[in-house]
Amino acid sequence: MALEIVVMVKQVPDSQEVVIDPVTMNLNRSLTRNVTNKADENALEAALQLRDEVGGHVTVVSMGPPQAESTMIECLARGADRAILVSDRFFGGADTYPTGLTVASAISKLEKVDVIFAGEESSDSSTGHVGPGVAEFLGMEQATYVSSVKYADGFIIAERELEDGTEVIKMPTPVLLTILLNANVPRRQTLKRKIAATKQGYEVWNLEKLGMPPEWVGVRGSPTIVRKMRPIKEKERAAKRFEIDQIPDLVRELFEIGALKLEEMQ
Amino acid sequence: MTGLKNAKAVENTDDYRNVFVFLEVREGKFLRSALEMIGVGRDIARKVNEKLVCLILGNNISKLADEAVEYGADLVLGAESPDLEEFRTLPYTSIVSDWVLKEKPNIFLIPASRNGRDLASRIAVKCQAGVTADCTELDIEHDTRILSANRPTYGESMLAEILCRKHRPQMATARPGIFKVPEKSRSENPEIRISKVKVDKSLKTKEIIEFRKKEKVDLSAAKIIVSGGLGLGKAEGFKALEKLAKTIGGEVGASRPAADLGWISRDHQVGQTGQTVRPRLYIAAGISGKIQHIMGMKNSENILAINIDPNAEIVTYSDYVIVGDVKDVIPRLQKEIDSYRKEHSGKKESKIASAS
Ligand SMILES: Cc1cc2nc3c(=O)[nH]c(=O)nc-3n(C[C@H](O)[C@H](O)[C@H](O)COP(=O)(O)OP(=O)(O)OC[C@H]3O[C@@H](n4cnc5c(N)ncnc54)[C@H](O)[C@@H]3O)c2cc1C
Ligand SMILES: Nc1ncnc2c1ncn2[C@@H]1O[C@H](COP(=O)(O)O)[C@@H](O)[C@H]1O
Repeated sequence: MALEIVVMVKQVPDSQEVVIDPVTMNLNRSLTRNVTNKADENALEAALQLRDEVGGHVTVVSMGPPQAESTMIECLARGADRAILVSDRFFGGADTYPTGLTVASAISKLEKVDVIFAGEESSDSSTGHVGPGVAEFLGMEQATYVSSVKYADGFIIAERELEDGTEVIKMPTPVLLTILLNANVPRRQTLKRKIAATKQGYEVWNLEKLGMPPEWVGVRGSPTIVRKMRPIKEKERAAKRFEIDQIPDLVRELFEIGALKLEEMQ
Repeated sequence: MTGLKNAKAVENTDDYRNVFVFLEVREGKFLRSALEMIGVGRDIARKVNEKLVCLILGNNISKLADEAVEYGADLVLGAESPDLEEFRTLPYTSIVSDWVLKEKPNIFLIPASRNGRDLASRIAVKCQAGVTADCTELDIEHDTRILSANRPTYGESMLAEILCRKHRPQMATARPGIFKVPEKSRSENPEIRISKVKVDKSLKTKEIIEFRKKEKVDLSAAKIIVSGGLGLGKAEGFKALEKLAKTIGGEVGASRPAADLGWISRDHQVGQTGQTVRPRLYIAAGISGKIQHIMGMKNSENILAINIDPNAEIVTYSDYVIVGDVKDVIPRLQKEIDSYRKEHSGKKESKIASAS
């Protein structure tokens, strides 16, 4: 059976080059380059591998501003069959709730969906909440923090990495999977494919196409707001300096302040 | 299934009371994060004179409920079933959301662990509420009972304060390893409500075929950590650290590149992609102090850096600095600690004996 596969992709500021405006304490977007979220590249690769093995189609869905175009083309050039940019000024300023709602709404317009892939988290919001949110809106089973995916007879078998071990799980489709950063090596975009991708182009869907009230999405649809940002102040530490010959003094001090304890020694 | 519904502001926020905390259980025991949630949840609840409500799902949970009460739960809501033995998204979401909709908590805290995040976002959507992820500071405004949820952002350089003014519950996930495990403190009239539940077949779609447990060193509970980085020069460098750690009753940690090179196993790694630790003493030997490492250990009570470079970044995060080559410093430190102990252990023991 061929699979209809969706990949949720987000364009993010390049974390190597983040520039903070010292006045507003916000991201200076004009000075920051945008790239595809790294974990989403792994999600796309996992989707492409699944399609190449069992057949079907991969559709990329992203909610974002028009400049996410470069990410759309990149995904097509890597091998996606179709790309949809969900874009409208109403979507701006969304927290995870309306982001998930908007992406889920777009996905619900597709004829059929068997597997949805997302990244484990985005490098800029790093919540890991949007994927599971979409699964809840669509009433789907999910598996998060997945490192490997197999498919057989209507079931996905996935490995899920927890803090203390690996869970091997089996679930029927439809299912949403969030893929770990570096779970695989994303294939490259060839020049030939890039030209073809640019020619093929991507779709842009706006709020009207989704048919949701404007107050459901974007900043108006967000239950949370950022009240303020402040630089993280580290605790001031004395950095009291000791040369090698002063180590006996340091050792005494560490015992005296209770950092070292005789009764804990083995 | 929630369907495509918007987040819904509640009519009267005064109808929402008390603090819910989700306690994560694995193999019949609380994870450390469970106690951390009780600690931070209890502080918030007591500040505004509300109840701390602990949520526990599992198979045999009455002992866990008692333990939660010892730590200050005013009310334990429990659900028991063999189907809840392991965490599974759908039944957990369903049961917890039912509790939320019925009990109307003002605040709901969940650990930002992998299962915690898996769950939190689904509950938020199901309850049409807002959730702030991965908080490192949580507080409540006394008059408004609004949760001040603070989380690092922009590569940990900034702290964003996030509020959820009109939606309830105000949900947040809390980064594991950040909040302190509290002292026991029983509440006056604790109540435990555990019900046996039957999990609907439609929610049992996830089959866990196997769980491969990782050998794991739990650094988050260590009182002392002796960590090594590339400055050790080679894998053998960790031998001396292990010996030192053993002597002083500590565990061994590592920077990521030291783990990447296989000098020590990955489960010793401290930092953004490793463990978050807050020991009483953190010794960083041959570690430069890049932000990804600092993130994982900066809340340690005392930090001692050992570095050949007096201007290494780690220095500004340190209480004590020994400038020198690890090859000389570690053996010397070992020697001086051994001799301090010889000199003092007699006295110390008599002191303990007389105190008890
Ligand atoms: C996405 C991402 C995630 C990351 N996650 C983590 C993480 O979780 N944990 C982590 O640690 N890193 C992480 N890193 C890597 C991090 O950026 C640094 O590269 C790393 O912490 C540096 O390790 P180090 O201090 O051991 O090595 P170096 O930076 O090479 O520092 C070695 C230090 O040893 C000192 N030194 C050298 N010789 C001696 C000697 N003989 N005696 C004493 N001192 C000596 C040097 O002066 C120097 O300060 C991450 C990076 C990225 C991009
Ligand atoms: N605006 C968006 N459009 C499409 N997918 C998104 C968007 N935001 C987040 N995602 C997906 O959700 C994952 C988790 O993101 P986050 O919850 O922001 O950490 C990402 O890796 C993406 O796969």
